[in-house]
Amino acid sequence: MNLITKVAVATILGVSVLSTSAFADAEKGKKLYQKNLKETCGITGGVFAAKFKQADWDKAYKAGTLNKKMEEACPAGKAYFESDKFKKTEEHMYNFVHDFAKDSGNIPSC
Amino acid sequence: MKKLTLSFIAASLVAGNLMADEAALQAQITALTQKIEQLEKNQGTLQEDQTAQAETLSKVNAQSANDNIKWDIDLRTAYHNIGYQYADDAKNRDGSTDTIHAGKKYSNDSLFTNRLWLGMGSKVNDDLFFNGQVAANYYWGADTAYHPTMAQDMGWEASSKPHDVSLRLRQAYFVYKFGNDWSIPMVASAGRRAAADGFLANHREGTAKPGSPLAHITNVEVDGAMVQFNLDKVFLPGSYLKVVYGRSYDAMNQSVFSAAPYASPTPYTGATFPGDEKVDFLVLPMSIYNDGASNLMAQYAMIMNAKGDNLAGTGYGVAAGTAHYGALSYQLDGLNEEVDFLNDSTIFASVAMTSTNPNHGFQMLGSIENKTGYSFWAGCLFPDTMTKGGRFGLEYNYGSKYWTPMTWAEDSIIGSKIATRGNVYEGYWNIPIVGKNLTAQVRYSYIDYNYRSSISFMDNPEYKNIDHSQELRAFIRYQY
Repeated sequence: MNLITKVAVATILGVSVLSTSAFADAEKGKKLYQKNLKETCGITGGVFAAKFKQADWDKAYKAGTLNKKMEEACPAGKAYFESDKFKKTEEHMYNFVHDFAKDSGNIPSC
Repeated sequence: MKKLTLSFIAASLVAGNLMADEAALQAQITALTQKIEQLEKNQGTLQEDQTAQAETLSKVNAQSANDNIKWDIDLRTAYHNIGYQYADDAKNRDGSTDTIHAGKKYSNDSLFTNRLWLGMGSKVNDDLFFNGQVAANYYWGADTAYHPTMAQDMGWEASSKPHDVSLRLRQAYFVYKFGNDWSIPMVASAGRRAAADGFLANHREGTAKPGSPLAHITNVEVDGAMVQFNLDKVFLPGSYLKVVYGRSYDAMNQSVFSAAPYASPTPYTGATFPGDEKVDFLVLPMSIYNDGASNLMAQYAMIMNAKGDNLAGTGYGVAAGTAHYGALSYQLDGLNEEVDFLNDSTIFASVAMTSTNPNHGFQMLGSIENKTGYSFWAGCLFPDTMTKGGRFGLEYNYGSKYWTPMTWAEDSIIGSKIATRGNVYEGYWNIPIVGKNLTAQVRYSYIDYNYRSSISFMDNPEYKNIDHSQELRAFIRYQY
């Protein structure tokens, strides 16, 4: 391995230690919705997320009541929203609904 | 007298109480007046604020009234270390010995590229919207945009391979959804799409969301029209079928200005040479089942007037026949919900085949007969346990002698690894640095060829050229 290769790879590995910020994935949240809630709620993930505006989702997430807000959007999903499974993946779900909220301006690809 | 005295005392007490009540009342009135004055003052401030906000809103409206495009950015800077080892008995395309390259090794240990994607979105309503993307993809200090022959830098990979600093159109298509309350809702679309980094190839590119076609047989930029049938309500969860028809090549190379004096005898109709025909394609990607964890997809594709050789093998790049493609790909995302490590892991496997059907008087893959190639692709991703959200990935590919997919736009400097007729071993590490907005990747690919590398139009796989090649890539990528 020559010098420039070592420098390039070391740089990438070096910045990896800076990976301290929370990693939340809207795409993962979308998959979680599809897996756990789509059938129960009877609506697509896009429709579910668009039930509220970004500010509404933000407020609920910060107040620790995202599960209650989601229950408003999908009452049938109450059991899931109150489960430990939801708590573990709440951050991904939040990113998903935030990115596809009513006023997100997000344009889906197809 | 006594009565009079008592009356006087009573009157005095009443008067005293009245005076005290009046004073209290006055105090309350004063306090209320002050409150009203304060409220009026606050109202005035609020009105001023409201006026200022209305003025700001007017300015925003004026600025954005006709600005219906929403932009996003994806910038990637990459380092590549590449190498090729030619076979000792390396052959040219015509089967003659490649005396220039045989047995030799070539490498570049410091190749850098920049890739910029400017994404555009425009939405009329939930059922009608537009997506677009312009891209610049280039080597540091080099320009490979020269187009001396049709074999180089064509539209099907114009933005996916590094060329120069020019911005090119990578995607531009509208989407119209209709029949949302039908049993089978539909979607229509037309324009240009990057059918690149599709299902399963997104992992090796460090991209969360894959494109819709199956990357095992398709990785190209295409112009075409599409109709999608959403089968979710009548078939399996997440199922749909897309029917895509498009054109990847048109022989129309002469415009009205092509011949002096400013007039071609056959503008927009002439072929460059005999056998230089239009190349159209039909692609049918299908999601069979997708519940968010298990995802099973299939695809059939057909290319008409696929490029091959004439019978003598002396002229290549001519319309030689039809090519058929098929693939079945499966991915399981999250292996066990109870175990975090397994829940964040992904495995996938895919099988595919390609088949050529040469026209009379032509050959494809060095043969006048139908030839079928097969391929297998498998991989897994698992948490690195060092970074938040980082994952290691391992992939293996195998391609048989006649395996020839349409993956010209695959993001590999050394050529499509999926198109390899031989074995490919690949490992990578996808690292989120600032969430999904700043990411990095280190990737190593080793390709061991059993037959000729599939880089030119349906050439003879018997004429092996490269023995093996490899690439080490490291990039850092900003997305917002």
